[in-house]
Amino acid sequence: MIPPADAGGTDYSMKITGTQEIKAPRERIYAALTDPLILQRCIPGCESLEETIPHNYIATMKAGIGPVKGIFKGSVHLEDMQPPEHYRMIVDGKGGPGFVKGVGNFKLEEKVGATVVNYEGELQVGGVIASVGQRMIEAAAKMLAAQFFKGLEAEIKSPPDPLQR
Amino acid sequence: MIPAEFNYARVSTLDEALTLLAQNEDAKILAGGHSLIPAMKFRLIQPPLLVDIGRIKDLSYIREEGGQIRVGAMTTHYQIEASDLLKEICPLLPECAGSIGDMQVRNKGTIGGSLAHSDPAGDWPAAILALNAELVAVSKNGERTIKAEDFFVDLLTTALEPGEILREIRINKPNGRTGHAYMKMHHPASGFAVVGIAANLSFNGNNKCKAANIGVTGVAAKAYRATGVESALTGVNLDDASIGAAAAHATDGADANGDLFASADYRRHLAEVYTKRAIAAAMKSVPSA
Repeated sequence: MIPPADAGGTDYSMKITGTQEIKAPRERIYAALTDPLILQRCIPGCESLEETIPHNYIATMKAGIGPVKGIFKGSVHLEDMQPPEHYRMIVDGKGGPGFVKGVGNFKLEEKVGATVVNYEGELQVGGVIASVGQRMIEAAAKMLAAQFFKGLEAEIKSPPDPLQR
Repeated sequence: MIPAEFNYARVSTLDEALTLLAQNEDAKILAGGHSLIPAMKFRLIQPPLLVDIGRIKDLSYIREEGGQIRVGAMTTHYQIEASDLLKEICPLLPECAGSIGDMQVRNKGTIGGSLAHSDPAGDWPAAILALNAELVAVSKNGERTIKAEDFFVDLLTTALEPGEILREIRINKPNGRTGHAYMKMHHPASGFAVVGIAANLSFNGNNKCKAANIGVTGVAAKAYRATGVESALTGVNLDDASIGAAAAHATDGADANGDLFASADYRRHLAEVYTKRAIAAAMKSVPSA
């Protein structure tokens, strides 16, 4: 599923899985997770996210973990969209500290008064960040995912902005 | 291995350092430089300005004051390792210091720098948590103390605000029948803690545990107190069976991380084994009445 790694032998791939419960209807969450305006506000450090063709985006992200900061540019592609229960996200980004490639499946399950977002994917990281920061990558990925869902939850709780559409 | 361009300022007072930090929120404090400089050489950290606090007088000391041990933030690991005062009144600190990196790192690296960097595999956070330390942070707005358990926020992230400098570490002097130990599995290449457990136990008579503080590093994104182990030990006569049962809670509520060297499962296993060893060693260290 993941394209072959660039030359070099320092790449590191890992599986990321998690679940997040959000108190909102499934349709609402599915719409938010696939809305570029909302995503831009929730992705940690996201500076721009533009839709090029439907479900294809170009993004710039200034990711920071404590003092370690890097600007990443890359593409995000959504496919296998079955609203409101499933989609697949493919990410390919490059930045000063290295590159990130990944595929993730998002499944949304209904629960009384809430929606459970299950995500599982594979992330491949290479370059300096992988060779030097390898021991911290998993913790960093989890930290960014937690920040993303915290942002998403806040976004869904706040009333819709009438100027947005 | 050449850092990006940066400005450098060497200050001689804390006030000068705080002024520079207030003017430039991306500035980094240079203490011993043993985490910061390597990260800068790899260009993972590219601060526009380094504020070198190495020449500020009176940031490097170990003293006893008001029933507390006070350690200046710029005190090196080696100074702590070699302190006769600490060996006598708080042996966990020298024991932990002696397990850090190698001699070069211990000669230059500082306790304050290490804590402010909050490496998930750093040794100090475990000891500081087990000793219930308080950390004194100073900024242009004055001073505040932060409890050790509130200090470590997330991966490489502490409760220090931009513009704040960690000035001092305060530890209540252990009294009564207490025992300490720090047990770690060294990463064979880096010397970092794959898992590190600091135990600080106090006892009534015999082997009955009155209070237990267990700090864990290396397992999760930040160091944490193993509260499950602590409550399983408190009020209990410690023997192999009760220690084993308590150690099984070493990673309760913790989100263990894996890397190329050690998977999350392996880390959880190590945490249990090293918790047992740390508790047993802490018991042995109790001075006989």
